[in-house]
Amino acid sequence: MNYVFHIMVMINIYALLALSLNLLVGYTGLLSLSHAAFYGIGAYVSTLLMMKLGFGFIPSLLAAIVASVLLSFVISIPSLRLKGDYFVLASLGFQVIVFSVLYNWVDVTRGPYGIPGIPQPEVLGVTVSSIFTYFVFIGVIALLCGGMLYLIGNSPFGRILKSIREDEIAAAALGKNITGLKVKAFAIAAGFAAVPGVLFAGYMQYIDPTSFTLMESVFILSIIIIGGTGNITGPLTGTVLMILLPEGLRFLGMPDAIAANMRQVIYGLLIIVIMRYLPQGISGEYRFE
Amino acid sequence: MLAQLLVNGFVTGCSYSLVALGFGLIYNTTRVFHFAHGAVYVLSAYVFYTLWNILNWQFAPALVATLTGIAIIGILIDQFLYQPLANRKGSPLVQMLSSLGLYIATINVVAMIFGNETKVLVPGIQPTYSFGTIILTQIQVVTVLSFILLFGALAIILHKTNLGITIRAMRDDPDLLSVMGVNPRTVRCVVFSLGSVFAAVAAVLNALDVGMDPNTGLGAVLNGTVAVIIGGVGIFEGAALGGIFLGLIQSLAIWQVSARWQDAIAFLLLILFLIFRPEGVLGLRRRTEETST
Repeated sequence: MNYVFHIMVMINIYALLALSLNLLVGYTGLLSLSHAAFYGIGAYVSTLLMMKLGFGFIPSLLAAIVASVLLSFVISIPSLRLKGDYFVLASLGFQVIVFSVLYNWVDVTRGPYGIPGIPQPEVLGVTVSSIFTYFVFIGVIALLCGGMLYLIGNSPFGRILKSIREDEIAAAALGKNITGLKVKAFAIAAGFAAVPGVLFAGYMQYIDPTSFTLMESVFILSIIIIGGTGNITGPLTGTVLMILLPEGLRFLGMPDAIAANMRQVIYGLLIIVIMRYLPQGISGEYRFE
Repeated sequence: MLAQLLVNGFVTGCSYSLVALGFGLIYNTTRVFHFAHGAVYVLSAYVFYTLWNILNWQFAPALVATLTGIAIIGILIDQFLYQPLANRKGSPLVQMLSSLGLYIATINVVAMIFGNETKVLVPGIQPTYSFGTIILTQIQVVTVLSFILLFGALAIILHKTNLGITIRAMRDDPDLLSVMGVNPRTVRCVVFSLGSVFAAVAAVLNALDVGMDPNTGLGAVLNGTVAVIIGGVGIFEGAALGGIFLGLIQSLAIWQVSARWQDAIAFLLLILFLIFRPEGVLGLRRRTEETST
């Protein structure tokens, strides 16, 4: 039973990553390869605050969100002027730099050794310890954040973002500050991406930089490309599918060593097929064309 | 010490440049962000390894077969992956994502067949040459010579032959090219085969030098991209300058900071160039906002 709850926890974590990236990719039409960086910043900032400065869970969660939002400006303000390939490249560069800092700034992050013994979240005097309670805890937070992202997506703000996606020049002609709106969308996505980072650190009680690589960013992006973007169901479909896929392979009796590669082969091919034949993903709204 | 580091940086730069020249050739003419160039790179090294180390072919036939095979693979990737998407006149991001998908699928197939561990092609210590206080291994010398040879050949093709004129015309305006009665598909075939061969040469040389594993492709294509941006998008020869510049900067980084920060420095450079000089060192002033998406 713990196995099922573990999978549910992972689905919740990736659902939050997918839904927050969806705000950028599906609503605003910006392809970003830096989502794992913000996920990692969330994990590291909250962990370091809890372990080195004795912060509680809630304050460190909030601080992680703030840190992630502030860092998003560093990359978004200069690079959101860039279009198409160039923006993707800039976000990729940011991802590589953040990973490099997490990996090499050994004095603070312990680099490749990782940080063990991260305290379990304690909220209102209750420690979330068993996998089941963690599942409930993370489910509540995921529902809260997911609900907020849903409301943002359907608010007037969300509709303006969609107008940028459909026709940037028309939106600018209607008096919208395109760059400003993109910076906001990027900041919101980064802030929400920090939340699953904090939850992941508290759940695993151990983090190291290899959870926040460029390939992880690619994986998060592929979740929403495959599931679909521009609405809520697309990213959720993608998350469930992509998290259950390796488990399915395991049930087929594939050895773990091959299954890890097999999973990536499948998702690489899925991206190709989706781009060619189903540009809106399995159940998305926005067509990549 | 510094001279040795700079020479090493130059050699690394030559290797980056080869990948970058191929990437740039493809990117400048077709606007395809060819992530799968990294897959081509990995594939070349493993094809050569299979022929030379496993099947025990002679060096020359193995090399020729690898380069020919990779040229064909380059053309096939274009035919079956990019052209159907390009014909839809869609966003280049779709091609970029498909390319990324192909990269992921390919390197994992390679990993499933050959394993994830590093493979060494030439065991033992390589013969070296010394020039004064500077020591170069044989393979480093070959790398520099290959770079000079291929760079020269590319420059001659681009500027002295009809083919080169066609390639440059396609860079400037693909639609006009078809109006002039040239089939863009032919040019694409040339560009993709040539570009892939450049990557293959770099991959084989690098594999002979330090060995290979399935994940080397990502670093190779990313460094190639950074080199193209630094040199200037739209200028074929710029990629060589960018590659050598990147190699030198990274060795200076080893000297001043530490080898661990090489990636961060390369990408910091990329971001700085994208923000402050998106047209690259050699490029004409043209605002990135104005280039088509």
